[in-house]
Amino acid sequence: MMARFLIPLVAVVLFFLETEFALFSPIEWNGELVYLVPRFLILYLIFLSIYYNRKRAMLYGLIFGLLYDIFYIDIIGLYSFLYPFICFIAGSTVKYIHQHLFVTTTLSLLLVALLEIILHQFFLIISFTTIPFSEFLNQRLIPTMIANSIFLIMLGWTFRYLIQARVLQKANQSIL
Amino acid sequence: MPQFFSNKRLILLLVGVIFLVALISFSLRDRQNASLPEQIIKDTVGFGQSLVSKPAHYITGIFNNVDALLNTYDENKRLKSRLEEFAVLQGEVNDLKIENDKLRAIIDKKEDLKKFNPIQATVIARNPDQWEEKLILDQGTMDGIKVNMAVRTSEGLIGKIVQTTPYTSEVELLTTNNPNYRVSAVVANKKQVFGLIEGFDGKRNELILKRIDSSLKVKKGDKVMTSGLGGIFPKGILIGEVTKVTTDDYGLTKLAYVKPAANFSMLDHVIIAKRESINIDGSDGNSTNNDETNKTTTNTTGDGE
Repeated sequence: MMARFLIPLVAVVLFFLETEFALFSPIEWNGELVYLVPRFLILYLIFLSIYYNRKRAMLYGLIFGLLYDIFYIDIIGLYSFLYPFICFIAGSTVKYIHQHLFVTTTLSLLLVALLEIILHQFFLIISFTTIPFSEFLNQRLIPTMIANSIFLIMLGWTFRYLIQARVLQKANQSIL
Repeated sequence: MPQFFSNKRLILLLVGVIFLVALISFSLRDRQNASLPEQIIKDTVGFGQSLVSKPAHYITGIFNNVDALLNTYDENKRLKSRLEEFAVLQGEVNDLKIENDKLRAIIDKKEDLKKFNPIQATVIARNPDQWEEKLILDQGTMDGIKVNMAVRTSEGLIGKIVQTTPYTSEVELLTTNNPNYRVSAVVANKKQVFGLIEGFDGKRNELILKRIDSSLKVKKGDKVMTSGLGGIFPKGILIGEVTKVTTDDYGLTKLAYVKPAANFSMLDHVIIAKRESINIDGSDGNSTNNDETNKTTTNTTGDGE
């Protein structure tokens, strides 16, 4: 019974935790400011999409993307498109890749990098930012990827454990 | 290659994309005012966020305390050496304050640009993707917060309010890329030198103070404060310290780099400064062109001070 409510609950907690971790950033590193962008929620949703259900993950992506847009960005439609989009890609790869934890972790990180790059291009187009790609790479993308990979290595197996518990539960229910 | 999209799906996707582009352009146009459903969502999320942020602040507080404890000895030594200096300064300040009050009483001048009502607020969130420098506070219009108020920490100015809902408000930090973000500032030298804080140099991590009269002297180490002449901010909030002075691109005025006094990471408690003397609508955007005599719907775009 627990796993059923835990899945959305974890998503909510991660959504709120992202901004708490954002308060630590930017960090001064070797005399330069580096930005660490926490992407916990989308990493979790990618896992959900790979191990559980693509449609469900996309729905969560849409809801949390919309909240993200309204609460932080004030541009409605940006994250509420990108989150389901990333989940869609993740869910579509299931047929082609082996679902080993290492492979999923790498894939999730690649997808987050893709998300960051799309966002950078978008903000460049609407001229919210002027930083060129090379600077973006050093100041944001690489530090963000490092921080998020630490997060995923620490918690990725928990996500998988939780999701698999839910899948197992569902299978049991269908048998009964 | 298997069939990735069926026809129906493709149409659905296209309609979805068109809808989203329309939504994005619609919400980009009017970002200063939140509509009612937006406000409700913001307040609800803000409430949840404030529940989460309290234990989070508590934990970071413990870490900071441990950190402070480790530095106590060095700090104590340094502070002791400055204590005597401080006592003298304190006396001088008191003296000046009394004198200032007396003189004000003589000329019967009650208004003071310096005066402000402080409102304490807690930072409940920071825009996690950090493309825009934004904070979200736990105080809103119900607590008397209005757009364009100055936001400071105990160290110095950090930004201003750009959007409010009944229970939350949004702060745009000084380190923003927004070219319309201006703060009228004064360099506290022997002679007052006025200028405008315009823009942030991402490479140096310093603010840029522009439009300084080139005949006036500004040197490294001078303190920069808000001047209160923009019509919105109170006077005398510390912004930072001059680190480098050059001439601007056209060679007509001087330009100074200002190292901000406030630390922009790890913000938790801030003070919103509501100035007591009359505020003017200090936006230089569309609203300055509006007909002020016939009260039409004037919207404060919140650009510049």
